[in-house]
Amino acid sequence: MEQEPKICTNILKIIHARSESGQLVRVEEILAELKEQGFLESEDVEQKAHLETTLKQVLKENRDLKAISGKNGIPYYYSAQSLSETYAGILVRKSENPLWLIAEVVRENSQLYPRPVPVDSFLEPPFGLTREEIAECLTTMREQREYQDIARTITSVGTPFLYSTQHLDPDHAFTLAEWLDVGQVNNP
Amino acid sequence: MSGEYQKHQVLEKALNFTNSSHSLSRREFLIMTGGIIVAVSALEARGAKEPPLIIVDQAEGLVIADATQCVGCRRCELACTEFNDGKASPTMARIKIGRNLNFGPKGPYAGLRAQGNWGNGLIIQDLCKQCPHPVPCANACPNDAIVVSPSTGARVVDPNKCTGCKMCQRACPWEMMSFDSDTNKATKCFLCEGNPKCVEACPSGALSYVAWRDLTDKVPPRVVPTAVVSPEKAQTCIDCHKK
Amino acid sequence: MAKYGGWAGKVLRVDLSTGRMSTDDTVEQYKDYLGGTGIGYKVIWDEVQAGTKPFDPENKIVFGVGPLAGTGAPCNGRTAITTLWPTCWPRPLVASGHMGGHFAAELKYAGYDAIIIEGKADHPVWLSVMDGRTEIKDARQLWGQGIRRSTIEINQQMGPEATVAAIGQAGENLVPMSVVMNSYSHSAGGVGGVMGSKNLKAIGVRGTGSVRIAGNKEEWEKAIKLHLSLLGANNQNVVPNSPQPWAEHYNAGSRWMASAGRRWGASDPNIDTGACEPHNLNRIAYRTNNAAFFLGDKAWQYTVRGNGCTACPIRCHTMLKVPAVAAKYGIPEVGQNTCVGLLFGKAFFKTFPDGPRGQTAIEACMVGMHLADDLGIWENYGQLQRDFQALYYNGIFGRKVAEKEFKSYSWDKYEEGDPTFLFELLPKIANKQGELATALGLGTGYLLERWGIPEQEWLENHELLYWKFGHPKHHSNEDAGQCGVIINTQYNRDAQCHSHSNFTRNGLPLEVQKRLAVELWGAPDAVDGVADFTPMNVYKAKMAKWSLLRKELHDCLSLCNWMGPWVASPLRERDYRGEDSIESLLYSLATGDRKSRQELDQVAERIFLLHRALTIRDMGTKEMRTKHDTIPHWVFADPKDRAAFSKGTIRMDRDDIKLAMDMYYEEMAWDKQTGSPTRETYRRLGLETVADELAKRGLLT
Ligand code: SF4
Ligand code: SF4
Ligand code: SF4
Repeated sequence: MEQEPKICTNILKIIHARSESGQLVRVEEILAELKEQGFLESEDVEQKAHLETTLKQVLKENRDLKAISGKNGIPYYYSAQSLSETYAGILVRKSENPLWLIAEVVRENSQLYPRPVPVDSFLEPPFGLTREEIAECLTTMREQREYQDIARTITSVGTPFLYSTQHLDPDHAFTLAEWLDVGQVNNP
Repeated sequence: MSGEYQKHQVLEKALNFTNSSHSLSRREFLIMTGGIIVAVSALEARGAKEPPLIIVDQAEGLVIADATQCVGCRRCELACTEFNDGKASPTMARIKIGRNLNFGPKGPYAGLRAQGNWGNGLIIQDLCKQCPHPVPCANACPNDAIVVSPSTGARVVDPNKCTGCKMCQRACPWEMMSFDSDTNKATKCFLCEGNPKCVEACPSGALSYVAWRDLTDKVPPRVVPTAVVSPEKAQTCIDCHKK
Repeated sequence: MAKYGGWAGKVLRVDLSTGRMSTDDTVEQYKDYLGGTGIGYKVIWDEVQAGTKPFDPENKIVFGVGPLAGTGAPCNGRTAITTLWPTCWPRPLVASGHMGGHFAAELKYAGYDAIIIEGKADHPVWLSVMDGRTEIKDARQLWGQGIRRSTIEINQQMGPEATVAAIGQAGENLVPMSVVMNSYSHSAGGVGGVMGSKNLKAIGVRGTGSVRIAGNKEEWEKAIKLHLSLLGANNQNVVPNSPQPWAEHYNAGSRWMASAGRRWGASDPNIDTGACEPHNLNRIAYRTNNAAFFLGDKAWQYTVRGNGCTACPIRCHTMLKVPAVAAKYGIPEVGQNTCVGLLFGKAFFKTFPDGPRGQTAIEACMVGMHLADDLGIWENYGQLQRDFQALYYNGIFGRKVAEKEFKSYSWDKYEEGDPTFLFELLPKIANKQGELATALGLGTGYLLERWGIPEQEWLENHELLYWKFGHPKHHSNEDAGQCGVIINTQYNRDAQCHSHSNFTRNGLPLEVQKRLAVELWGAPDAVDGVADFTPMNVYKAKMAKWSLLRKELHDCLSLCNWMGPWVASPLRERDYRGEDSIESLLYSLATGDRKSRQELDQVAERIFLLHRALTIRDMGTKEMRTKHDTIPHWVFADPKDRAAFSKGTIRMDRDDIKLAMDMYYEEMAWDKQTGSPTRETYRRLGLETVADELAKRGLLT
């Protein structure tokens, strides 16, 4: 295959371009683009398999390229030059299940920093959920066992925050939420 | 630097021979031949004196600015003189923010129409236009000290020739000639050999280095220039334009 | 050529009583004190007798800047103004106020590192400093006018480039709660009345000179770029406010507000702040939007741009354009300030009809800035407004003020959150009209005394955030546990120290902060999670000492302690490390006086020690631990009565804080019993003559 190096470059380009525009890319999408570029003549299974091997090769050779998979195991690709793991994680979860997205973001924040997360922050990019979606998620969460650790606290000015009881005590979560919402502004 | 400028003038003289035998104006000639540098001299044939330098070619680039993006930090002015001259000196900077910072170009008498920090917030960055022929600052210089940089075509002061008379300062309609009070020489924007420090320094991306374009008829002048052009130069202009 | 770069080389002295002017050689006389507050403390120590009152002609005001002012070092715009402090209660002591803007740089270009104002003019004057030429000018036609009009008139005389630091009516009327202000919105509190007492309306400065960089210019360029690369947003918040494609971390409490879709909506055409990837140094100015941070999302639509001090890419003074206020309140559409200055008007009110982040709150800010920054009123880090709310809602105004006067205020408007109320109140404070306004203008300590309210009540009330001596806390236990408490005991006004809080609020995970703490202060235990404090340890004392010395160092070099130090950065490839030696690197290159980080910190320690000695001298006691380094009761209480060190409380433990002070004094090599520095410490830091002087007065331990 004398096209080999060209294909490698193009795969790299596709992933980089996607990442630069703040998106992940799946194998099918890469293949579809390659097809458009004329590298893939038919739906020939063998050729497709070959391309997948090439993709693996490209991933190995370019240390900035990363794979991340969602709950269903499908890998997404991105370049760490323009997307962080954190951001990629948000995008994967968002594409699969907003419920899971909210829960994981809340858990990560509660454990790592630690801090609770303002509910309204899910309205903004990259989450971009609607108020209705968020409300629905929160109602559903209350009923599902795997989300029982996700709790809510409300600051003195009425701003709701979420936290995970796995990582934060209710009292601590309240103080932290108050600190983020009111305390820092009143103690500039 | 000055070695390069000298080389330059050899080229200028070499190009002068076309002067007598061609019916095209010097400027047209240059455009047609893609010529880079030129000084024209009617006196050359007489050979007695250095011919007056008249810049006819255009610069390759210039720095342009977006006033709406300017946050008035003056980092551009400071980068200009610290990184080029080893001192922080906004007065000497070849980009000028300070004078428009408080009230805008109209100054503290602008009243309700004020710009700048005391007005509507808009900060006008003043920049050298790298003027096309006739280059006001260069033409006003009695010592032909404002020459063309070989790397960018910028109009630059040759410190070896500059006597510090400040005639150039009075010639620039945009008041873009600066003066180094330590060396007693004029200075002006020389485009940092194609990598302008101010552009790199701007924290809001308000400045860009772009291919040269003519802004002289677009940006209103700050002052009415009062410079005198030497009779020799004036004669050269007449000779050339007659053709 | 002068031996050193950085410094302008001269200190200007103006005696307003005699009109005499002279200059001192900065390097000869003040090099060991760097500049800024260093020169200020030195002048007050040498030249102002203990027992002098702030408004006495014998008090002096020192406008000091440092070797980095006017250079391209990021965040160098602050002028330190040192004098005897009129709101320091019950006894005025030395303190400093700090204004940003363009005054510091312009002073350097005019050839001066400091201006010392002495005496008292016999009629209102203003000072014109034009390069080497200084003149005392008649200010009778300016007297009675606000800061804005005065400034414009002076600029009409001196030219548009001049920077004018002026006082308003508040300062003229010797209101202690008053400011001096330059560059439209940059003020230093507490100083206005002291200028007024000297009949000094303003100082106009215009300089066409330069600040020489002694070191190699390529190295200087590299150092500047390194420093720029380490910057976060305002307060050195190093992670963005919301997830960004490039960012590993984010924090809803960050002042790094930029994000795709958040726009400077009042710029024409408007501008998207975008992702602001930290390596892109041409986007730094878009990171911070303090109006949006303090006032909520609504502020974006009114944002014209960021503004700020000379050479600072952060632009913490957000410029707002709110067209509605012109017709509604008859004030300009455009206004700007930051933090407590921005919140000046809003903070008086308990509620607004449309909530704390609605349109009315923004309008209250616009009205507040319009009035306060022209009349020249100081807010004492928000204490004025906290006091006001408490005094009104606890019925104290009603009791202390004559009924007729009390009823002359539209309290219904006030309770409704109607910004027009500010037009009634603020001019009265500036003009000392009536008992209520006059008392408010005194500052908390003197107000309480005048109205016979025991200070104790304020010391016990957590919501008032009052600390001592008439002043509030400023980044205390809520930010950094014991370290914050120690810091708040040390000054004669609010501590104004951000070295510690800029670190604890930087937004990085606790784990990362702890890793950095190991390198900076010796152990991860120096820092705790917010509201999850652990008992005292020596590393916290080390962090407190470091914080204080860096604050003082910044105030002397002219670096902004609202941004520095820069020991954490947004750079993942550096594991979020900043550079603890950036100050010494910049200082060494600018001046040519090579000093290591440790050596420069030692100079800072000398300056801080001189502040301590001055405080001891003027208090007339060496019992600093019990009489000066005091801690309000609310620090040891919790609204839900949770125990200290339990999760969710910022309550501190009395014995643990005793230990904290012990450890701190030990770190400083001060006497633990009294909290006073020992002779050995004065000697080690080159202040033996200061020790001698204190010994003569029986004030040396
Ligand atoms: S200094 Fe003035 S006259 Fe000379 S090239 Fe620049 S803009 Fe034109
Ligand atoms: S000061 Fe200006 S006009 Fe005079 S010699 Fe120098 S460059 Fe020419
Ligand atoms: S560096 Fe940029 S933002 Fe700052 S003053 Fe210059 S043009 Fe304006």
